[in-house]
Amino acid sequence: MSRIRMLGPKDQLQSCLGCVQELGLVQLIEPAETESLRPLGLTIEQAHHVRSVRNVVEDVDTALELLGVTPKPPKAAEALPLTKAALIAGRSRRQLEALAEQRQGLEEERALILKFRPFFSAFRKIGDSGLNLDEIRVFYLVLREDGEQELRRMRAALRQALGDGFELLSQPSESGESAMLLAVPTADAAKAEQLLSEAGVQSLSLPDQFEEEGVSATIRRMRTRLDELPEALAALERERARIARERGRELAWIQASVRDHLATVEAMEKAVVTPRAFVLEGWVPKAVQPDLERRLGLCCGPGFEIETVSSEEWAGDTVPVVLNNPRLFRPFEAITRMMPLPRYGTVDPTPFVAVFFPMFFGVVLGDIGYGTMLAAVSLILRIRSQANTTLRSVSEIGLACSLFTIVFGFLYGELFGDLGHRIGLHPLIFNREEAFFPFLGFAIALGLVHIVVGLLVGAVQMFRGDKRRAIGKGMAAVMVVLIALALMAAFEMLPERFFTPLVITALIALPVLIIGEGILAPIEFVSTLGNVLSYARIMAVGTASVMMAVVANRMVGAFGSVVVGILFALVFHLINFVLGVFSPTIHVLRLHYVEFFGKFYSPGGAQYRPFRHWSARESASDERSE
Amino acid sequence: MNLEMVFLYLSAALAVGIPALATAWAQSRIGPAAAAALAEKPELTVTVVLLIAIPETLAILGFVIAVLILMQGGG
Repeated sequence: MSRIRMLGPKDQLQSCLGCVQELGLVQLIEPAETESLRPLGLTIEQAHHVRSVRNVVEDVDTALELLGVTPKPPKAAEALPLTKAALIAGRSRRQLEALAEQRQGLEEERALILKFRPFFSAFRKIGDSGLNLDEIRVFYLVLREDGEQELRRMRAALRQALGDGFELLSQPSESGESAMLLAVPTADAAKAEQLLSEAGVQSLSLPDQFEEEGVSATIRRMRTRLDELPEALAALERERARIARERGRELAWIQASVRDHLATVEAMEKAVVTPRAFVLEGWVPKAVQPDLERRLGLCCGPGFEIETVSSEEWAGDTVPVVLNNPRLFRPFEAITRMMPLPRYGTVDPTPFVAVFFPMFFGVVLGDIGYGTMLAAVSLILRIRSQANTTLRSVSEIGLACSLFTIVFGFLYGELFGDLGHRIGLHPLIFNREEAFFPFLGFAIALGLVHIVVGLLVGAVQMFRGDKRRAIGKGMAAVMVVLIALALMAAFEMLPERFFTPLVITALIALPVLIIGEGILAPIEFVSTLGNVLSYARIMAVGTASVMMAVVANRMVGAFGSVVVGILFALVFHLINFVLGVFSPTIHVLRLHYVEFFGKFYSPGGAQYRPFRHWSARESASDERSE
Repeated sequence: MNLEMVFLYLSAALAVGIPALATAWAQSRIGPAAAAALAEKPELTVTVVLLIAIPETLAILGFVIAVLILMQGGG
C-alpha cells in the first residue's frame, strides 16, 4: 500500500472528489491538521443539505427493505434531483409502511381467530342443546395440558354456585392445552366471573370488532373473516408486488445516486484546506498507483498534484489490507477471508492454502469416481456462477480439490471404493482398506511438513522485527524435524545408529528454543507435536470414506435382487459422496485455521474500503455474500 | 473366539466409543450455544464451525487408537 497526498485548487475539490470516486481506488483518510491546514467545515446550508440527503437515504433504504427485493442499480447512477428523489422515496416509504401495517394487522387478526377455532365446535354443541345463544354469556377458557383435576374442581364449584344452569364444554387444542367454553345465563355471569377469577383460570378476550355482538353472530363473523383473510392478505401482497415492479428499479437508482452523493459530501469532510487549496490523503495499492496518478491528473486538470507520503510518516497498523495473489491462487482467498484479515506487513497465507488445501482434500477423499463427480458438480457451478463471486471461487476450489482427488484415487487404486480393484486398478502407493499404518504414517508426515512450513514462515515473518523470537521459532521447526527423524530411527525406518546423534542434537537445540521463545517454549513445543498428531484425522476420515464405499459395493450382493442391491449401492454412494465432500472440507479447514495458521498468522488487518460508487460497493458486498 | 480376542475387540470398541461419547457430549453443549451466537452474529460462522470440529479430535484419535489396538493384536 502507498499513502498518497492529493493537492489542488479549493474550488476544484468537488470535481476532483468526483474523479476519485469514479476511479474507486483510493481509501480516503483524514490528513493531520496543521496551523495552515484546517478541516473544511460545513456552512449552515450545507449541514441542512446533508441532513436532507440522510433523510432521503433512510426513506429509500426503508422502502427497499419493505419491498423485500433489491433490484440491481445501474452501474453508474446519474444524479437525480434531490427534491424529486426525496418525493419518490418518501411516498414509497409511506405507502409500503401502510401496507406492512395492514398486513401485520390482518395476520394478528387471523392468529387471534385461529386461537378461538377450537371453540367453534363447542359452540355448535351448545347450539344443538337448544339454548338461545344470545341470552347467555360465554367465557372462553384455556386449561393446561394436565388440568383434568382442575376441570373437575371447577365443574363442582360451578354446580354448587349455579346449579344446572350452565354448560361447560372442552375441546383439546393443537398446542396440547384444552380450550373450554363456559356458557351461563346472562344473570349469573357476574357469579361465574368471580368463580373463574378465584380459580385462576385463563380467560381469552374476544377481538375488539366482535365484542359488541351476540354469540351466534360472533361465531358466524369469525368463520367469515377466517375465509376472507387469505384473500385480503393476497391482495396486499399483489399491491406490494405491483409497487416492486413499477418502482423497484427507480428506487434502486435513487438509492445508488443519493448514496453516491452522500459519500461525496462525507468525503469532503475528510479534506483539509488552506484559503486557496485543498489537501486529501488516502491509501492506494502500490500496483495501481502509477496508473491512478496518470488518470487523476487527466481528470482533475491543471493545478492538481499527487505526492507519495513517505513510510516514516505513518504507523503500520493503520494501513488497510488488500489480498493480491496470482490468478491461480485467487479463489483460495475466499478461505483466507473467512478469518479476520492478516495485519498489514504480515504473510498472506493464501498461496500455502492453495497448495495444501486441495492436496489434503485429495488425500482424504482419494477416489477417481468421487473426484469425477466433484469435478462435474464444480464445473456446473462454475458455468452457472458469475465472475468475481464467492460461488465462482468455491467452484474453482472444488475443481482443484477434484483434480487432487482423482490423482490420489489413481495412487490408491480406488474407483468408487474397491470397485477399481475389481476392474484391474492397482494401488500405486498403498491400499487404504488394509494399509492403516502406512496411511497413518503418510498423514502424520504431511502434518509434519505442514507444521514445519508454518513454523518457518513464522520465523521468516518474525525476523524483520524480533530476531531472537524468530530464531526460537526456527529452532522449533528444526526440533520437530529432529524428533521425527529420531522416531524414524527408533522404528528402524532409518539406520539405528542415527538415533543417538539425533536425540543429542535435539537436546542441544532445546536451550536455544528456550532462550529464543521464553520459558514457556517447551510447553508450546509439546503442543506443536500434538498439532502434528492431529493430522491423523486425514487417515481417520479417509479410511471411514473408503470403508463406506466398500460397504456400498457389497450391498449389490447382499440383497436377493441385484437391481435392488444396485439401487441401494447407488444411494449409499451418493450419501458417501456428500459426506466425503463435507467432512474433509471441515477437517482440512480446521487443520489450516488451527494447526497451520496458529504458527504464523497475525490477524487484525483493516479491510481496504476505497471511495467509490455505491453500485460498485454493492457488487463488492455481493461478492462477499453470494 | 478365545477370551483374549474378546478383550481385544472390547478394548478397541471402548477406545473409540468413550471418546465418541465425549465428543457427542461436548458438541451437544457447543451446538446450541453456537446456534444462538450465529443468530446474533452470522459473521462468527467460521469460528463456530471450528468450535464444533475441535471436539471431533477426540473421536478421531480414539478411532486411530482402536485401529492400532486391532492391528497390534492381530485382529
